[in-house]
Amino acid sequence: MPPRFGTLDIAKFAKAAGTINDYKTEALTLKGVQILELHMEIDDDPAIALLPATMHPAIPQYAIFNVIHAPDSDWGPFTIAEVRVAGRTGVRPRGFVLRSYIDNDDAAKALSGRWGFPVAKADVNLRVLHDRIVGRVKLGGKTVYEVEEQDRDSISGNDIQYIASMHLAHSKVDNKLVVVQVDPEFVFHKAERGRARVVTLDPEAFGATASSLNVMNPIMACFTTADMTLPKVRYICNPELPAMQGTTKVAA
Amino acid sequence: MKFGLFYEISVPRPWTRETEKTVYDRCLEQVKLADELGFESVFAVEHHFLEEYSHCPAPELFLTACAMITKRIRVGHGIVVCVPEFNHPIKIAEKTAVLDILSGGRLEVGTGRSATWTELGGFRANPDETKKTWDEFVRCLPQMWTQERYSYQGRSWSMPQRTIVPKPYQKPHPPMWVAVTSPGTEIDAAERGMGSLGLTFGGFKEQEQKVNNYRKIIRNCEPVGKFINEKVATVNFLYCHNDDAEGVKTGMRLTGTFNYLASQLLAAREAYPTKSYPSLGLLPSLRREAAGPGDDSGAPEGIAIGNPARIIKAVKAWESTGADQINFLLNALETVPQEQVLNSLRLFAKEVMPHFQKNESATAAAGGR
Repeated sequence: MPPRFGTLDIAKFAKAAGTINDYKTEALTLKGVQILELHMEIDDDPAIALLPATMHPAIPQYAIFNVIHAPDSDWGPFTIAEVRVAGRTGVRPRGFVLRSYIDNDDAAKALSGRWGFPVAKADVNLRVLHDRIVGRVKLGGKTVYEVEEQDRDSISGNDIQYIASMHLAHSKVDNKLVVVQVDPEFVFHKAERGRARVVTLDPEAFGATASSLNVMNPIMACFTTADMTLPKVRYICNPELPAMQGTTKVAA
Repeated sequence: MKFGLFYEISVPRPWTRETEKTVYDRCLEQVKLADELGFESVFAVEHHFLEEYSHCPAPELFLTACAMITKRIRVGHGIVVCVPEFNHPIKIAEKTAVLDILSGGRLEVGTGRSATWTELGGFRANPDETKKTWDEFVRCLPQMWTQERYSYQGRSWSMPQRTIVPKPYQKPHPPMWVAVTSPGTEIDAAERGMGSLGLTFGGFKEQEQKVNNYRKIIRNCEPVGKFINEKVATVNFLYCHNDDAEGVKTGMRLTGTFNYLASQLLAAREAYPTKSYPSLGLLPSLRREAAGPGDDSGAPEGIAIGNPARIIKAVKAWESTGADQINFLLNALETVPQEQVLNSLRLFAKEVMPHFQKNESATAAAGGR
């Protein structure tokens, strides 16, 4: 029996993909970033349409909602929000980025050009309140994404395991569409865990539909402060093939 | 060194009533043969919702069927989930007692707490709590098995005084084990006087260290049961064939299929950060080890696949770590045809087992354990 693989319409999805200029970008460390991450189970069968053939689904399928605030960077402070669908490349857990929104043009250009992230400009913010932490994205004044962590409790950063990202990008090197893997490293200063709540989600703003990104069951939310290093791009994959067959190492 | 079977009961899609029944029938046929060949025990997991990977949510039923068609092989829970959302402790005490009676005193009771969000989330169990409820359950079980009248007021559950019947056939009660996946759980097993039912094996050195640590700590244990079950079991894959290349090739297909299936599941730690699950548990560890460094044949070190000579070497290496028993996974997704599985068991019993039975007799004659 063949394994289940993603059925994402690559050509359609490529319209919002970033463009990576080369695979030789240097690693970049962002100090003291705040990261809000939610895990939400999603409707299994339709969500397979949100994964490329490179990946196969987790059981159960879940989505990862991130909002990251970098107080300082080469491009000034920025806040970025994204939605990923968790899956597997071969036997490794990975999250496929559907789309990201960012509030800083220079950061958007760098994140797309150097790592190929599918970023678009929007009004993005992360608010740390006493009773909750809220991440929000507004497009043209309309809220398309609002997520919360409630009932926060301290945990150890050692307990956090963020999984690496995969995203579709136009490659100027190969002149074709590729799936880029980015596996950031983290040094945690503070970590909390609480209840996850998706207040608002417009799936179409993330290249999905109400059925393919149907949020069903909250798993948890966590909030960390960390130093985050975006590494060199090490692996790219052919979006039409399973990772076991279509992965290329581009850096040590 | 003793040998057992370890069942996940992996069923490939499409799931028709016939495919499910065929896989169960084949497992029972293997157990019947293993009983005749002199295998020590058969363990069955308790897993829920782990599609294709494991269709074994009711191990007590499978093990009862095993007991009914065999004469001497021991039947073991590997494990029963000690989390109240999965199993009420009274039901565990009752069902294990009945299985012990039906099997004529052949039951082994492995205990554990589940390692996947797939299961914990499905039952809406709190991952932060599972280690605590496991600890509470394993202290209660021997009391429920042995006290005529029992009452309990605890942290996760309670009951007024009642008579829990029947009592197990084995006296004072069946041997108790702990599933050891997370680092340090072997210490939990030793401190409570329970067997260490290894579901990962790491490297030889790591295993040896774990076994030494276990044996040292269990000397001063405070047993939860009425006796100490000082035993260390580990898990492995098995495919034995006279042609080494064929054995390795088929064995690697088995491990590769298992790896693929296991990778889809959502480990508790990946989904839900908690100190209660410091490692990713059974699945990634077995994956890593089954794909670890090996020799030119492609067989990872220590995996019991290949010809009898290769498997004897692997088993001897595990024996030297101090392990008492190896439990073997025989199939995944029916990737190995049934006749080949049965032949592999026959060949293993004929060519490999005698090397270790001699050692056991010699150890016993020398007054060893």
